[in-house]
Amino acid sequence: MQRLRWMVLPLGLCALVAVGAHASADVLGDRILWAVDRVDAFFDAIFSRWSVTAPLVDWVGLSQRVFFARGVALLWELSADALLILPLIGYEERAVPAELALARKLLRKTARKPLPSRIVGPLCTAAIAIGGARAVAHLVRSSLFRAPLIAHALGGATLFLLVALFASRATLRSLEYADSRKPLLGLPSAVLLIPLAIAAFA
Amino acid sequence: MRRALSWTEGALVALCLWAAWYRTPAGALLRTVGSRVLGLHTSARPLLAYYSAGAYSEKPPAPLPLRGPVPPGEALAYGAAQLQGRPPREVARDLDRLRRELKGSDEAAVLALFCGEEPARWASERARGRDLESLARELPPGYADKVARASEAIMLGAAYSLAWPLPAATPVTSPFGPRDHPVLGGSRMHNGIDLGVPAHTEVRAVAAGVVRRASSDDSNGRIVILDHGRGVTTLYCHNDALLVRAGDRVERGQIISRSGNTGRSTGPHLHYQLELAGQPVDPFRYRVARAHPLSPGPTD
Repeated sequence: MQRLRWMVLPLGLCALVAVGAHASADVLGDRILWAVDRVDAFFDAIFSRWSVTAPLVDWVGLSQRVFFARGVALLWELSADALLILPLIGYEERAVPAELALARKLLRKTARKPLPSRIVGPLCTAAIAIGGARAVAHLVRSSLFRAPLIAHALGGATLFLLVALFASRATLRSLEYADSRKPLLGLPSAVLLIPLAIAAFA
Repeated sequence: MRRALSWTEGALVALCLWAAWYRTPAGALLRTVGSRVLGLHTSARPLLAYYSAGAYSEKPPAPLPLRGPVPPGEALAYGAAQLQGRPPREVARDLDRLRRELKGSDEAAVLALFCGEEPARWASERARGRDLESLARELPPGYADKVARASEAIMLGAAYSLAWPLPAATPVTSPFGPRDHPVLGGSRMHNGIDLGVPAHTEVRAVAAGVVRRASSDDSNGRIVILDHGRGVTTLYCHNDALLVRAGDRVERGQIISRSGNTGRSTGPHLHYQLELAGQPVDPFRYRVARAHPLSPGPTD
């Protein structure tokens, strides 16, 4: 049973974070399209000045802009997935009291020396995992729409249990990871993760 | 306690994997590969179509033969009728009934038409917004295909409801489709239609929307792009003056620019382009073409 938990729980945590990252990327999709439009207008103004580069203006049409914007959103989501999932892979099974003691120790350490590398990763993981928990609970609720009372009860229970058991674990793993080694791609990872974490509460 | 907790965790892992299977691009890819291998139907295609910036359609529907202008208020029924292969009048009656029964938006009525009344009622009672995206979020993944059809019907309905940017009698100087390019030479696709008008003619928004772009370049000249929502976008090129800015909200019939001869153009005209789900389409698919005479004149 322990061996099974060691294999299955990280998979569940990774899936939760991936669902949360997708829900956030979905919220940011329109903003990305807006940014791609601005960049395209800027380059159209430059490229259209010379006959050699003028055909490039037609080459990137509206459908290509939408394609680029969605490609950017997808790349963003997958990069965030990789950054968030990395700490979850080294899953270590511990008893609940040991987990709580470790959490207290790491939180005290972070409060004493609040380095950005110790705060950004865990906070973003917490926000995106909670976003994922909301998305999973929503899916449970909507799948049971023919029995509204059961749908609401199971949806609420799923949200509570996912936040209490999974989002907290994912955050602790991220806190532990940030404490044990130098963060991967410090500033770029913060730039990738913070907008998604904010979008998780939209 | 320990064992009970383990079962709870097992169930939660299963739920997370199930959600990732239906609600992430990686899950959609795996579903598509799985369906190819096993030869089964998959509902992953709408999500994958989203990432390839195309509309999801099982089979592209043929446009309805239009004998006259689409009656006001029936455009949505025309969009749904095109996909369901039923007479627009009959679909319009169904939509009216569903609107009354659901006390909801047009989107909720179309959703009910394609998914059934019970799911549409559940969605319209709980959705934060009245748009199809908000409604669809309230439905289980099994409805993905039907929601995609409803979305397409709404998009086609929006296309049937569009007004015209210039007076209806304005001659078409170059229609939609492949042609010999008047400036660059060689056979090229003309993604819009050219309407021959004197410079400084008022150009009007064909529907309410948001200005996605109001910029200038040497190819399109002064260009306005309007996003009307529901997957419908219109472009107006070679203007002399732009009267709106990016981000502005415009109403149907509002003057957005004055036509001109800017950019790569052989004379004063308006290049009008209609795009559905990012793909250029002939505006006369959704409008009676015979009201618009074809005559030689300035083009791009």
